[in-house]
Amino acid sequence: MRDMDAFSCKSGTKNIVSDIKLNTNLERRLETLGLTAGTSFEILNKKRNGAIIIKVRGTRFAIGKDIAKGICIERSDNI
Amino acid sequence: MKEIVVGFIGNPNCGKTTLFNAYTGAKLKVANWPGVTVEKKEGALKYHDIDFKLVDLPGIYSLTSYTMEERLSRQYILDDEVDVIVDVADASCLERNLFLTLQLIELGKPVVLALNMMDIVEERGMEIDLHRLPEMLGIPVIPVCARKKKGLDVLMHAVAHHSDNIKDEKIIHHHPNHKNSEHIHDHHDDYTVVYSDEIEDNIDLISDRLVEKYPGISNVRWNAIKILENDEEIVNRYSEVDLKKIIGKKTYEKQVVNEKYDFIEEIIDETLVNKNTKAAGTEKLDAILTHNIFGLPIFLAIMALVFFLTFSVGNILVNVFNMGIDALSNAVSDLLVSANVGETLTSLIMDGIIAGVGGILTFLPNIFILFLALVFLEDSGYMSRVAYIMDGIMSKMGLSGRAFIPMLLGFGCSVPAVMASRALENPKDRIKTILVTPFMSCSAKLPVYVLFSQIFFNQYAMYVAFLMYVVSIFMAILIAVVMGKLDKKKSQNSLLIELPEYKAPNAGSILIYVWEKVKDYLSKAGTTIFIASIIIWFIMNFGPSGLTDNISESFASSLGKFIVPLLAPIGLGYWRIAVSLISGIAAKELVVSGCSVLYGVSNINSPDGQQIFGELLKTEGFSSINALSLMIFVLLYIPCIATIATIKNETKSWKWTAVSVAMQLGIAWITSFIVYQVGSLIIR
Repeated sequence: MRDMDAFSCKSGTKNIVSDIKLNTNLERRLETLGLTAGTSFEILNKKRNGAIIIKVRGTRFAIGKDIAKGICIERSDNI
Repeated sequence: MKEIVVGFIGNPNCGKTTLFNAYTGAKLKVANWPGVTVEKKEGALKYHDIDFKLVDLPGIYSLTSYTMEERLSRQYILDDEVDVIVDVADASCLERNLFLTLQLIELGKPVVLALNMMDIVEERGMEIDLHRLPEMLGIPVIPVCARKKKGLDVLMHAVAHHSDNIKDEKIIHHHPNHKNSEHIHDHHDDYTVVYSDEIEDNIDLISDRLVEKYPGISNVRWNAIKILENDEEIVNRYSEVDLKKIIGKKTYEKQVVNEKYDFIEEIIDETLVNKNTKAAGTEKLDAILTHNIFGLPIFLAIMALVFFLTFSVGNILVNVFNMGIDALSNAVSDLLVSANVGETLTSLIMDGIIAGVGGILTFLPNIFILFLALVFLEDSGYMSRVAYIMDGIMSKMGLSGRAFIPMLLGFGCSVPAVMASRALENPKDRIKTILVTPFMSCSAKLPVYVLFSQIFFNQYAMYVAFLMYVVSIFMAILIAVVMGKLDKKKSQNSLLIELPEYKAPNAGSILIYVWEKVKDYLSKAGTTIFIASIIIWFIMNFGPSGLTDNISESFASSLGKFIVPLLAPIGLGYWRIAVSLISGIAAKELVVSGCSVLYGVSNINSPDGQQIFGELLKTEGFSSINALSLMIFVLLYIPCIATIATIKNETKSWKWTAVSVAMQLGIAWITSFIVYQVGSLIIR
């Protein structure tokens, strides 16, 4: 299957991170928030411009389009 | 006995500030951390004859060194200035908060974990095993509820005890994954976080090298882990330890983070009961408040309400305030007369200081209400949703979603608007927002539009005044877009913000915060504006021949005549207009009162007064196109003294303040020039 990213996932899905492809600074920030390869997170909401609300390790974060595109997903399931 | 220095640290939104305030009340000292604009709060406390100094560290998610706040907190703790760390954790969101806790424990300083928001945990039917949790972490764990001021004494008690003996409890683990460990040392009795064999082996290798190269080094294990994580600051500090030589090409930063989270999962599994019964209240609210269609109108409605409260309810209070200031000024005037104080000094006190500082004080009710509303939104958790809701629209302008709030408030008054830019986290976004905000047409400019548009545009007056607002928005957007383009390092749309649980705001914390802002504002009125008022009074009342009643002999008029050539190309080459514009720097309303004084039209806002004023202007050759140019110029030129002072205060930089002033002046001149010259061509 083609590589997915969080930007292309739908609202209301549970996703597993396969890799993070962002600049080191952002990558580290996401890491310390617990969003690392193998982590699963839910997408709670998605806007037309691509900003998403995710829930990872019990906390909700709003994430802009550019960051969402850097979060690679290995599988995405409807909740 | 020695004072115990206690550092309060925790994730954003964990209730750390509420807990801090619960101890210190409003008696806290707010300063900035050296060299940066991050606030540093300190307070003192006496408990059982022990003196505590409490320091509120910035809210952070981890102790890496990627943000200014993280570096600050880490350096402060490492520098041995702090005796005990109180790690405040949101008990209802333990999984997230424990990451910082584990990092703090690894630092080797005495840590006490304050489990805040225990009431929410209970409400949700969750339970935390308060016996097992300290066992697994190896530090005291004290349940508290900052909002209800519960557990405060016990926490300080634990802090006092924990300050002298670092390890009194044995750490009890049973890691299923570590059963078959072949690592030569068993660290489980010594350290809270024990990594996999591969990492532990490497930590040992790096530790040995560290001790060898840097004898006397403290915190060896922590430094070794940071080197393994490739932490820039630590790697540079101990540059003689060549990581690549020891462990080869492989990087471990992700693995170290992951293993910490693995351990956190273990802790959660063992200590948190009923973790799945979380109330979905926040999610239900978010389904409406961050809805793709309704989210925006709801936000706009909320902002309209805030705007209404600030500027209409606020203005009722302003009138009350004005009456108070009038009463004061009358009393002072009587006092000065009865004390036989000379005319000059009386004028200085009455027309200079009381009029100037008093004029600024009248904004106080607006500022008070505005900040009350904003803190309410922030404290309830809604403000971070705004960043998400407005992200798309604002990012097109190269601004952050939250910048919308200061910009909107700019229509009311630039002073609170610039202050509201504090809601922005990124310093670069803040500067941009602060530079754009004064372009929004503030309410003090309205009297100028009203006066000149009524005189020169008769039945179209309203449309002309409205046009000013359109120009104002257009300019703000234009400036924002241009600044975005100028910004070489194309900043990504890096919206990344926690959306905390909604909660009822805490009255105590709100009041303390608002009081801080009001105090800030008052101290500014007492200093910058005080001095500025005296200067403006001086140039209006003194001339080359000394004190003068006649403003046309004052320095202000000399100055006005001096700048006339500069203003002539934009159709404002009239010295009286020039002086009015100068006095408008004190406050924009003064452009109108300046005209009234200088042209000797006392009832300038009445229909008769307007007619006389209009005739006077027309005999000078001042026509409708001049009036349009004037309005545009007033809309765009230098912000008032209070705003300049606020910009200086918020940016902590004379450079940016100067940039703001120069940019506005330049843009005002160019725009007025275009309007006047093109307009003159069309009309003639």
